[in-house]
Amino acid sequence: MIKDFWTSLLHYFVNITTATLFVTAVYLTISGHQMNSVILWEILLSGFITALPSAFLVCLDAKNGRILLLLWLAHFLLIFFTTLILIEIFGWYKITAFSILLTFMAVVVIYIFTCVTHYIVDRKHAEIMNQQLKKRYSKTNND
Amino acid sequence: MKIIIESPHPDEEDTVIVRCASPDQNLISMLLSFQNAKTELTGYLNDKIVRLNYHDIYYFEANDNRVFAYYHSDVYEVKYKLYELEERFVPLDFMRCSKSMIVNMEKIEYLSPIFSGKMEAHLKNGEKVIISRQYVHELKSRLGIGEG
Repeated sequence: MIKDFWTSLLHYFVNITTATLFVTAVYLTISGHQMNSVILWEILLSGFITALPSAFLVCLDAKNGRILLLLWLAHFLLIFFTTLILIEIFGWYKITAFSILLTFMAVVVIYIFTCVTHYIVDRKHAEIMNQQLKKRYSKTNND
Repeated sequence: MKIIIESPHPDEEDTVIVRCASPDQNLISMLLSFQNAKTELTGYLNDKIVRLNYHDIYYFEANDNRVFAYYHSDVYEVKYKLYELEERFVPLDFMRCSKSMIVNMEKIEYLSPIFSGKMEAHLKNGEKVIISRQYVHELKSRLGIGEG
């Protein structure tokens, strides 16, 4: 369980940080803003902070798909509000209605990137496992 | 390795013969667990008491301190703790898939990923069971897939 938590934490940290760097690069290119190099440390720290609830979530047991969906919704909101707090603490930009909307869109992009990355890997694993299941039980099914 | 299953004569006891150069520890422990496996299980459904055949069980689920065995469509209560059923049935292709469930691997039609490293096992009776991330690793190793 603990090993699983740390493995998930590392995966989410890498994925979230990569996606945040991508979003920041796009934002800086479009806006033409210059930022201090300290932002790189802030991105690393925010990646770690937002990876914590993600790693915790995957260790929770959900009895069915609906509970899982609710957990993910709660997780998304938690990430979104955590991001807003981090923006305020780091002073990345002023909190206005427009900046909240931008942050929401950025979190959605990062969220989709992270989920899709994990889903593609898991789908590949599921394919291999299904092949093995078929091989293992084909004799039983033919009987 | 060849596996040959022959029908014994009507008056003969079921016998397992292993023909190999030198039985190793794995083989011996596998045979012992097979020999000692207690597969008899009694299920309770309303006023009925039924002897359950483990081949027909899709999964066990613990709910409110009670444990249930799920058949294709019937559900029987069993008077065992989940960990006791795990000890008894894991050598028979059952596996823990979450804190409250043990699934019969033979009854899995296919697996599909759901977000967060969990898998959904689609059973042959149309039901779906979630396999927690930590048990996905175990399922992989039971299927002979190394962690990559």
